[in-house]
Amino acid sequence: MGDILEVKDLRKRYGQLEAVKGIDFSVQAGEVFALIGPNGAGKTTTLRMVATILQPTSGAITLDGIDVVKEPAKARERLSYLPEEAGAYKSMKGRDYLKFMAEVFFEDPADQAESVKAAGEISGLGDRLGDKLGTYSKGMTRKLLLARSIMTRPKLAILDEPTSGLDVLGALDIRDTVKEFTRHGMAVLLSSHNMLEIEYLSDRVAIINEGVIHATGTPAELKARYSAQNLEEVFAEVAR
Amino acid sequence: MRRFWVLLRKEIKELVTPQILLPFAITIVMFMFIGNIVGSQGTEAQANRRLALLDLDKSAASAALQGAVEQAGFKIDRVTTTDPAAATTELSGNGGTLLLVVPKGYGASLAAGKPAPLDVYSVIRTFSFMAGQDSSTLSAALAAVEQAVARETVGGSAPNLDAAFLENPLQVRDHVLIGDKQADVSPDVVMGFITSQTTFVPIVLFIVVIFAAQMVAVAIATEKENKTLETLLAMPISRPAIVTAKMVAAGLVALLSAAGYMVGMRFYMDGLMKGLGGAEGAAAQAASQAFADKLGLTLGVGDYALLGLSMFGAILVALAFALILGAFAENVKAVQSLLAPLMVLLMVPYFLSLFIDINSLSPVARTLVLAIPFSHAFLAAPNLFLGNTGAVVTGALYELAWFVVLVLIAGRIFSSDRLLTMKLNFSRKKRTAV
Repeated sequence: MGDILEVKDLRKRYGQLEAVKGIDFSVQAGEVFALIGPNGAGKTTTLRMVATILQPTSGAITLDGIDVVKEPAKARERLSYLPEEAGAYKSMKGRDYLKFMAEVFFEDPADQAESVKAAGEISGLGDRLGDKLGTYSKGMTRKLLLARSIMTRPKLAILDEPTSGLDVLGALDIRDTVKEFTRHGMAVLLSSHNMLEIEYLSDRVAIINEGVIHATGTPAELKARYSAQNLEEVFAEVAR
Repeated sequence: MRRFWVLLRKEIKELVTPQILLPFAITIVMFMFIGNIVGSQGTEAQANRRLALLDLDKSAASAALQGAVEQAGFKIDRVTTTDPAAATTELSGNGGTLLLVVPKGYGASLAAGKPAPLDVYSVIRTFSFMAGQDSSTLSAALAAVEQAVARETVGGSAPNLDAAFLENPLQVRDHVLIGDKQADVSPDVVMGFITSQTTFVPIVLFIVVIFAAQMVAVAIATEKENKTLETLLAMPISRPAIVTAKMVAAGLVALLSAAGYMVGMRFYMDGLMKGLGGAEGAAAQAASQAFADKLGLTLGVGDYALLGLSMFGAILVALAFALILGAFAENVKAVQSLLAPLMVLLMVPYFLSLFIDINSLSPVARTLVLAIPFSHAFLAAPNLFLGNTGAVVTGALYELAWFVVLVLIAGRIFSSDRLLTMKLNFSRKKRTAV
């Protein structure tokens, strides 16, 4: 499959601080591409630039042939973004929240109903979808938000710590769901501190530190390159 | 456009919550309740106006005095004792408020052309407006008796003198001119009438503008605090649509609340007028209305439309201002501090318009006050009464200019990184890497 996302010489500067220093990577349709690195490495800034909510200082981001910087509105129709620690509108009921999202993305009521139904199943929240989001636990909210981010079948799902706050079984369900959606062509740009999750989900991994990508490859390639038993050892080697 | 409506519906649902509706409903019900209470209490007090009378003189003059007091609407309670000190104790014990003691020799003094003593005891139990109503009525009744006695005395002892001349040697005739219209009325009456018609406009405007500004700033701050802003910004909804939906939702709720407050205030004012003025007050109000009509101090449909436009313009400016200030807020708690500049800009014309004529300020001070966009909304009602329609239209256009500039600034902020990266910290400046 071809590249759905292409990032070239991407830079982001906040005043004196250069958070991202000219990175390049690409993500293919149906691929899970992970960005891993220590805190402050530039992961979230990169994800936010791809998600169109931060403007790059320089460089290019192309999503499904669309220049994300020049045509952010078009790009937003093809992507979904799940920020780390994202919240939801507490006074809304779970089902109403999904309906609101579906109405934004789809014009046809049939498409709206179908995506809400799919999101309900993905979230596994059942009757609790009739309750207000203010009554949800952190894990329930995360399940709902993840369901929201993939229910529109985006070309690219940007997931920042997707299973944060979930219990083991919940996290396993979510990982399986993400895998299932990628089989239908959805690309995923992923960031996580959970190396087991990265190893299980990712087709390729980029290790970023201080705004620079130091290594890119499949988990197996990276482990071989750094003579490591697992991705945690690779991460530690590169981060130091 | 479809997405705008979807977002607007969501914004309205977010704003119209029990937490917002309940205080709003309570405020309106409270105004209506107070108006009703004051009105019914006033009516009841007027119907049951009581006076304890201790007539130690038992003369024709004291009987005439009692008649005059009864005519003023007082029901007379006979005192069982002949001792004034005991009578005051009795008055206090009965819950009465007024005791009129006519001492022995009252009639004889009048007949001899000497000042006749009268003792009025007032028991003060509260300091409310209505508590003083009975005393004022009694004073008016006694003044009428005094005038009648004076005329009778002068007429009897010096038939060539005009008693009316002695009472009022100057005959002051008031004439009020407004533009090319004139009415033979005291300026106090005109001022009182206009004040009664426009008092609640700045109060409601002040409350509603603050309410609207808080709603929109809190809406932005809540998106930040609840971590929903990033998701919203990554959705296929244009930034101008996000800005507009938040402002329109807050504006609609604010307008609805303005209507509610107006109705509540109307009930309150009606109750107050009924309670304090009674039938005489209503008659005086009708007379004032007639003079106001003669002076052209009435507002037509077009004037009310202009007044509404000016108020709506002020609300829009406040919303755009608050949207920008809300973008700086890290959380809902910070909103109150950030809205301080807006509060100052509102309070200056609000308080000035309550106490002085802004148009009569020195040129520099006047220019400074008129540079504040909200001033024009506070000045709209008096300007319309005086027929200065041009000033109101100019003011509304000035508000519109402010609104356009502020919306452009808000649009730029929402279209840039600043919404996520910019924050005001009053204790120390800090930049956080993300």
